[in-house]
Amino acid sequence: MATLTMKNVTKIFGRNVIAVKEFNLEVKEKEFLVLLGPSGCGKTTAMRMVAGLEEVTTGEIFIDDREVTELPPRKRNVSMIFQNYAVWPHMTVYDNIAFALKLKKLHKDEIDRRVKETAGMAKIEMLLERYPSQLSGGQQQRVAVARAIAVNPDIFLMDEPLSNLDAKLRVSMRTELKAIHDKASSTTVFVTHDQSEAMSMADRIVIMKDGEVIQVGSPDDVYHRSGSIFVADFIGTPPTNFMDVKIQKESNGTHLVNPHLNLLLEPEMAKHLNGYNKNHIVLGIRPENILLVGESDAALSSSCLVSEPQGSHQVVAIQLDDNIVKVVAPPNPIIAPGADVHMNFKQETLRFFDPDTTLAINP
Amino acid sequence: MNKNPIKLGKLVRRTIFYLFVVTLAVSIILPVFFLVSLSFLSTRESYSFPLPLLPSLKTEYSLTHSDRGYLLSVYDKFDKEYQTVLDTAELEKMSVYMKNQIGTPYSIPKIKERIAELENGTKDTVFFSVRKNLLLNYSTFFQITRDAVPALVRSLQIAGLTILISLSIGSMAGYAFARYVFAGRDVLKFSVLFVRMFPGVAIALHMAIILANMGFYDKPIGLALVYSVGSIALTVWITASVFMGIPESLEEAAQVFGATKWQTFLRVTFPLALPGLAAAAMYTFLGAWTETVSAILLTQFNPTFSVVVYQSLLGAVGNVNLTAAGGLVLAIPSLIFTFFIRKYIQQMWGGMTI
Repeated sequence: MATLTMKNVTKIFGRNVIAVKEFNLEVKEKEFLVLLGPSGCGKTTAMRMVAGLEEVTTGEIFIDDREVTELPPRKRNVSMIFQNYAVWPHMTVYDNIAFALKLKKLHKDEIDRRVKETAGMAKIEMLLERYPSQLSGGQQQRVAVARAIAVNPDIFLMDEPLSNLDAKLRVSMRTELKAIHDKASSTTVFVTHDQSEAMSMADRIVIMKDGEVIQVGSPDDVYHRSGSIFVADFIGTPPTNFMDVKIQKESNGTHLVNPHLNLLLEPEMAKHLNGYNKNHIVLGIRPENILLVGESDAALSSSCLVSEPQGSHQVVAIQLDDNIVKVVAPPNPIIAPGADVHMNFKQETLRFFDPDTTLAINP
Repeated sequence: MNKNPIKLGKLVRRTIFYLFVVTLAVSIILPVFFLVSLSFLSTRESYSFPLPLLPSLKTEYSLTHSDRGYLLSVYDKFDKEYQTVLDTAELEKMSVYMKNQIGTPYSIPKIKERIAELENGTKDTVFFSVRKNLLLNYSTFFQITRDAVPALVRSLQIAGLTILISLSIGSMAGYAFARYVFAGRDVLKFSVLFVRMFPGVAIALHMAIILANMGFYDKPIGLALVYSVGSIALTVWITASVFMGIPESLEEAAQVFGATKWQTFLRVTFPLALPGLAAAAMYTFLGAWTETVSAILLTQFNPTFSVVVYQSLLGAVGNVNLTAAGGLVLAIPSLIFTFFIRKYIQQMWGGMTI
């Protein structure tokens, strides 16, 4: 297995459509790296440049110490799983998996052994003689996976491989793909727009927007220490709640104030605002970090708009002027629409953002 | 009486539907049936009125004395009587007439036997029947048209060359239209059809001059080039839509998994496009094979088979039943080719989903 390095990679389509801008990335050996971002953010283009399906405008790509920037796809020793599976309809499952091995001119017995081994890993050993049109979507996906494993690639590239599957299958395939990644001890780059997929599979997540990297970090990092309003909003369902607040320094400490809110910051948290010299911030708080409390302890009070029971918890939507704040609360008792709700925050989880740069103030 | 009016309505609709289908089928089948039947009729039958629906399998003759020699009569099924067709003493003339006009080959010694019966017997009329040689028109056609067989070979050559030229150029253009975005693509794609808007006759003279300058006049390659101009337009459109139906990711996957661009084409694109290419080949073949007007104008000593069939209608040899036989011979390769290629085209609609 190998490492992947991308140095200042830029892709420009036509004359001035910048798809990927100054992209820098190092993928470690055996790492499962997820490129995450909304559609059109350049994540697929970035991956296709690694595969060699898209030419690099400027920059360099290395696999281990080997520069592959100008190499055709077949010389890069990567394998790819496509969004629409891209299994060849005129070949049996066996031939699909054996395709690359035959082109490598391996011995027939070796090909047979490798095909059966990888088919076993992908759990399709009983489908080898079938044609793709006789298989379900999930089974075709497994063929694509087996085909990708069989070549023993340096890098696995997966381009939204689960987005064509139904919801239930998607979740179970996640687990299997991760297990196959571990078993093959491969280096994987996985592209998705689904943040829960990214959170559940990644060792490291690269969040992209408009062709640029916004934040790189472990799932824990990007979730709890989101570097910008965009990331805090993009990661997590329901997403982070945001409030515009004013900083007021009073005798008993630093307060965050807006028409609904008056929150006295603990000294630990207030410290983070020391170097900050504007008087407004955007306060970010995850729905599960808002606590429903008694009236006397409340930092914020309003009434419930609607409550969505989820079994293990309920999501309570609360109207604050034009804003809706969502709170993840214990499942019982169910909060009725119109009921008064009193809230306070787990202060150590608060995120402060600069309203102008949208970047995080606290680390 | 009528408990279920809905059922009656359905019945009426069905009846109308089937009447329509039957009419349609008959209007397609009838001319073909007429051609096939005509190709088996004797010359006498094919010019009689009313025209027989089916060829007779044998002919009833009567032979009797006359002033000049012998009177040969043929039984007419429609008039239900013997009609005199020949009054002659020459046995050879009689034999030739029986073969060429009635389609019943009868040798001179056999005629002599019949005459002997007439002379020796007590009857003044001898009746006999002769089996008809149904394939006589076909062998006659090849005998009287001087170069029917070489013309057949030439037609095959031309059709083959046309497929080769128009499919290789047309499918490359089709691939480009399907895969690449470039300025003026849609206009260009539409404009390849312009060439089909001109009637062949209108530009045939210019074609003849150009071909003569190229040294291709009256040669198979010349006609193949002319036919290719029209059929490239068709193949571009057919193959472009076929290639568009093949997801690009299938080709990309092949490249990622070790194939060169050429291998990708041979192992992935081509096999997937095969049904469509087969359909394009079929249209091209049929077009080149049956085309006559340009062929008449652009050939001189080396006509195509369709020209030979056309010529058999003209002049002294012109007999509709012989032309019908030639026409059917012309249809046979088309039929064979269509049946051969049918299974590939069916793949496109049924067996395989891309």
